[in-house]
Amino acid sequence: MADFLSMYSIQHWLESCPQGYLAGTAYGHGPDEREPALVLENDLLREQAIGATVQLVVGERCALAASSGLVNAAPDEASKRFLATQTLDEARHVEIFSQRLLDLGVKKGEMEDTIREHANPNLVRFAEVLLEKVDRKDFVAGVVGQNIVLEGMAFSVFEMMQAAMQEVNPKFAHTLSGTIADERRHVGFGENRIGSLIAEHPEKKPEIERMQKEMSYWMLATFADRFRNLSAREEIRKLRSELSGYGSAPAKWQGADLSALEPAEMERLLADTVLKEFKTRLGRIGIEYQTPARP
Amino acid sequence: MVDPLERKADEAPRQRFLLEETDFDEVPPKYRRFYRRRKGPGDPLGPNEVVCPVCKVVIRSTRELREGDRVYCMPCMSRLVVVRADDGTLEARVAY
Repeated sequence: MADFLSMYSIQHWLESCPQGYLAGTAYGHGPDEREPALVLENDLLREQAIGATVQLVVGERCALAASSGLVNAAPDEASKRFLATQTLDEARHVEIFSQRLLDLGVKKGEMEDTIREHANPNLVRFAEVLLEKVDRKDFVAGVVGQNIVLEGMAFSVFEMMQAAMQEVNPKFAHTLSGTIADERRHVGFGENRIGSLIAEHPEKKPEIERMQKEMSYWMLATFADRFRNLSAREEIRKLRSELSGYGSAPAKWQGADLSALEPAEMERLLADTVLKEFKTRLGRIGIEYQTPARP
Repeated sequence: MVDPLERKADEAPRQRFLLEETDFDEVPPKYRRFYRRRKGPGDPLGPNEVVCPVCKVVIRSTRELREGDRVYCMPCMSRLVVVRADDGTLEARVAY
């Protein structure tokens, strides 16, 4: 166990992350990269980009509150150190996605109002379920909620967005690549650390399973809102096809070409991928996946 | 001496592989050639490769992998054991 925990060192984080894939970047992307001109010039595309980015800021603010709150609840020094690095990762994510809002033309003084206006209430409920466990200093439930459920969701959402953005918005795609790399460590910690702790605390399982079911429901409700309430869908699709790089290569994710999918198909693909991942990850650490209600 | 044709596959000498650099940059430079990103489900795995079930990165070895081998996924810090899946392919399982 001692050797296993020693992997969670600040030195490893420094060499992999700030001195590794983040070296030479500014807010997670190449210093010269910019948002596509069409996104900045067209109100519809800009508004859609702001709406999507606000959800990322909300999710990352939750992750920041959760990981920092779990530092003092961790049962060992190595886990505290890992969660300290994760706290910095999450703070960086909050910063880079907030910076994207500024890049999209949101004024500094209007940032909080913009976030309040666009934040999906279902995503806020999702965060509240997790933060309640963190507030109670429940380390095992907190890490499952944060590093398996929240991070598992973020991992798939970021991967899908990154695949969709790769050709049409390299700046945002690069920003997402760095967050995906961070998420790998976070889900790894969730599984590896909790995999051993859950065996020591089997009495925690029913409560954790209830939490996963509830968080999964609010996650699906968030997806439903985003994909089903797309006003001016056809116009957005047409505008996107005018973006430089569109169609130069298929936006492949999970074997599907994202640019060819209807919103309902995209919602189903994302929801199924995330839930399947939850089931597999939870099964590996001995927790029985609970099927959530479908909104 | 055992006839080489009768020798079990697991006893045969392992193939060796020269690992070229990949564009994987999520670990310190000296370890980067041991990992690569998987380009979708259709991306074939070599006999020296296995997918990390936790973070989906492909782990690469300088020698052919076999059942029972232990591998380490540095990007997500998972310790893994190579097992044979039901379909006969090799896959990695997490060792907690």
